Amino acid sequence: MDVIDKDDIVVATTGLISREIFEKFDSARNFYNPGAMGLVSSIGLGIALGSDRRVIVIDGDSSLLMNLGTLVTIGKCQPRNLLHIVIDNESYGSCSEEESMSGSVSLSKLAATANYASSLTVFDESSLKHAILESEGRLGFIVTKITLGGRRDFSRPLDLVSIKDRFTRHLKGWPS
Amino acid sequence: MNNSHFNNLEKPHSSVAGKLRQALIEEGIDFSVGVPCGVLRRVIDFLAHDERIMHITVNREPEAIGVAAGAYLAGKKPVIYIQNSGLFTASNDISSLLIPYRMPLVLIVSLRGCEGEDAPQHFVNGKATMPLLESFGIPYVVFEQDNDIYDVVRNLYRRAEDAQLPAVLLLKRGWDKT
Repeated sequence: MDVIDKDDIVVATTGLISREIFEKFDSARNFYNPGAMGLVSSIGLGIALGSDRRVIVIDGDSSLLMNLGTLVTIGKCQPRNLLHIVIDNESYGSCSEEESMSGSVSLSKLAATANYASSLTVFDESSLKHAILESEGRLGFIVTKITLGGRRDFSRPLDLVSIKDRFTRHLKGWPS
Repeated sequence: MNNSHFNNLEKPHSSVAGKLRQALIEEGIDFSVGVPCGVLRRVIDFLAHDERIMHITVNREPEAIGVAAGAYLAGKKPVIYIQNSGLFTASNDISSLLIPYRMPLVLIVSLRGCEGEDAPQHFVNGKATMPLLESFGIPYVVFEQDNDIYDVVRNLYRRAEDAQLPAVLLLKRGWDKT
């Protein structure tokens, strides 16, 4: 999070990814997608098309695979202010860690085929930070491979209407 | 070259489709996203060809809900168009994104499977569409030709905004016959 510019927007996918970001990094610039599985990238696309801000989508491997057609939509729209990060643990980590299918396909190759301007896979934090900075100004895609596991008791975003109101005020540049 | 069917009409504002367009423009619609349906041909035609409206096509109805939600968050005024079959595909996205976040977006939905339907794959959806919307507790209206679609749409927007909920305009085959 320390390499994401303070003016950037963060949109987080369903489950533990939203909950961890909410607990550790909650901010007016964050939007959480707790229910509409797979749609974080579509929501991020809509924000990127309607705003000049850089939008950082934080997706999961299973979430992306649920809405794979969105890669084609995003590639066609070519929003230069969108960075699509996929946190890939090759599982449905927010469920009971059932195996997903991301181990049998190259997600970054799929994004490249869909015409993302940059697309790569990273395996450690410093490479991820470098890739986030490098992809500024173009439609980017970063798969970050992580190991399965970790805390599961992150708190849940509950007051969704306040989160929305805070987010829309933030985007308009209004005080929160 | 503009081969828009809509634009070939002589008096666009006196046609049903023209009145629908006028209502959407007056509501400030500046963004549209959806999945095509033949019944919505004239709607898609004007949304895709009006320079005031950013028009995005998607592959599947849930994407349309997500893109419209994002555009709304960014300050746009989106309209969504889908067939009622896709309303079922996107039902979780309406119930778990638009409704709990209180996003008053209007969906223009073609209503296949009502009287006169010949395609059996639409029969169940036709019967289940209104009960689905009832169960979601969101405003909706089935447009009947003896009503003025301009008033129907403006009224639906007021209901969506008053309730801070998504709302659905259902259009049957032949809705745009003048």
